Amino acid sequence: MTDAESSTDAAKARFRGTLLRVLTVQVVALAMLGLLQILYG
Amino acid sequence: MHWFNWLVVIAYLAWVVIDGIRKSKGTDTISGYFAANKSLSWWVVGLSVMATQLSAVTMIGTTGQGATDGLRFVQLYFGLPLAMVILGVTLVPLLHGSGVYTAYEYLERRFDAKTRSLTAFLFLLSRGMSCGTIIAAPGVVFSAIFGIPLGWSVALIGIPTIVYTMIGGVQAVAWADVKQMVLIVVALLAIVVVLMFQMPVNPHDALQIAGSTGRLRTFDFSFTVNETYTFWSGVIGGTFLMLSYFGTDQSQVQRYLTARSVDEARSSLLMSAYWKIPLQALVLLVGVGVFVYYQFVRPPLLFNPSHEEAVVAEAGAAYAALQSEYGEAFTLRESAALRVASADGDVDAAMEEFLAREADIQTIRGEALALAEDVTGESSRDVNYIIPRFVLSELPIGLTGLFIAGVIAAAMSSIAAELNSLATTSVIDFYRRWVKPEATDAHYLVVSRGATAVWGLFACIVATYAATLGSLIEVVNRFGSFFYGSILGVFLLAMIPRSRGTGAFVGLIAGMSAVAAVTFGAPSVSFLWHNVIGAVVVLVVGLLLGGIGSEGDTA
Repeated sequence: MTDAESSTDAAKARFRGTLLRVLTVQVVALAMLGLLQILYG
Repeated sequence: MHWFNWLVVIAYLAWVVIDGIRKSKGTDTISGYFAANKSLSWWVVGLSVMATQLSAVTMIGTTGQGATDGLRFVQLYFGLPLAMVILGVTLVPLLHGSGVYTAYEYLERRFDAKTRSLTAFLFLLSRGMSCGTIIAAPGVVFSAIFGIPLGWSVALIGIPTIVYTMIGGVQAVAWADVKQMVLIVVALLAIVVVLMFQMPVNPHDALQIAGSTGRLRTFDFSFTVNETYTFWSGVIGGTFLMLSYFGTDQSQVQRYLTARSVDEARSSLLMSAYWKIPLQALVLLVGVGVFVYYQFVRPPLLFNPSHEEAVVAEAGAAYAALQSEYGEAFTLRESAALRVASADGDVDAAMEEFLAREADIQTIRGEALALAEDVTGESSRDVNYIIPRFVLSELPIGLTGLFIAGVIAAAMSSIAAELNSLATTSVIDFYRRWVKPEATDAHYLVVSRGATAVWGLFACIVATYAATLGSLIEVVNRFGSFFYGSILGVFLLAMIPRSRGTGAFVGLIAGMSAVAAVTFGAPSVSFLWHNVIGAVVVLVVGLLLGGIGSEGDTA
């Protein structure tokens, strides 16, 4: 594996990790709003 | 307003201007003035990005929208986190790494001068006018609330902003944004705390009352292009809107071009990705809380005090009759609200009764608003006055001043970023490109400061005449929505190797035409979908004409 390929793989892994973290936080926030809607809306 | 509240406001204004000027060190080169020598940390840039997006309209209009319409507006931001992640791996490294001062400068390297100049011109046109409306919105509210001429309230917001932006450049703007963002959040939390202590019912009952009117319904999963705030328009249209706003609008791009590295620029955008939806939900929840509070404390019949005065003066008898009806209807609604709160078994019947009484109140309010419209000849929509009236009458001394300072901070942070980006685009994309390509940094700095002052004065003049320019501003704002998605399409084309300058230029015009056709041909289609249509048409036309034209650089 060349340096360029391993750096691309690392960038992809970083992107996946970031996407996962951001989506997790949003899912929690939206779940709380959804809970409000289910309980009171 | 109490003198101590004014003191808080004046202290804030003095602090932000003096500190802004102190932060002007190192801005004696254009790299310092326009890009802070790429020296800022991710958290400074991140707060600056958030402060730029959060304007005074958010503080007074969106909270008011929460009070009248509930939480569903938050759906507009559902696409933002995904857009930020996408930008982090696409446009951010491209723009930050290319060493440009403006996003449009990159388009000449990639395509040609005409594509750069057209996109830069469209930015100046839309942002120049919108800057006036950003000052006008809080200016009109302050003018009515404090009974001062509109020119004064515009000057109160506009002049300090022009001073620190002109002297300190992007660095002063970013550091002022940090303080302003903190102040905004503190001001919002102050209202939350006051509401929690002063609310006559417990949180569960307050939520029950808010929920019975549908104000806690966030999600609307219906797929209709005519409804602006749905889950799908937020996720799809919102993603395109946010990609366009954060990826191609110089007022945002310039924030993250000041970051130390590409990684720090990415992290700064991720701050919005994490916090924007919770913050927007908080803003709307404040409005919902005020709605519940006003079930137990009688609010004014008309929230706009200048309209109220005019109606009392010119139609006093009719207004007094409405006030009397309103008083009785309020008492009945208050009792119904208490029954919703205390109902153990028959909650549905209590809610039904409450909704009927709420409808009575809305009918009387509708009549009062119609009366105000007849008397003043102006739109009587008073959503923007709900929170300021609440703050002035219900918040303790000191906190009122803090909130008003927070609204001014929100206005200033957005205006400063816009003035800064308008000056940068004017100088870099037009003056340096077409008028005087070879000059010293000192010369460009003088021109840039002059451009900031000119744009600032132009924005203040537009804001001062906002009431009479209403229809013109609407036309400009509508025109702005024609090309937001289309400009995104051009930047997306820039990342596709086979695309060329002519395709991008023709695609941009085709995209704008397509959005114009949809706007006028199918006006019921929500504006969020315009961004999708514009971007897709530019991409298709640009790729069809892929082989034609020049390529300044490879993607």
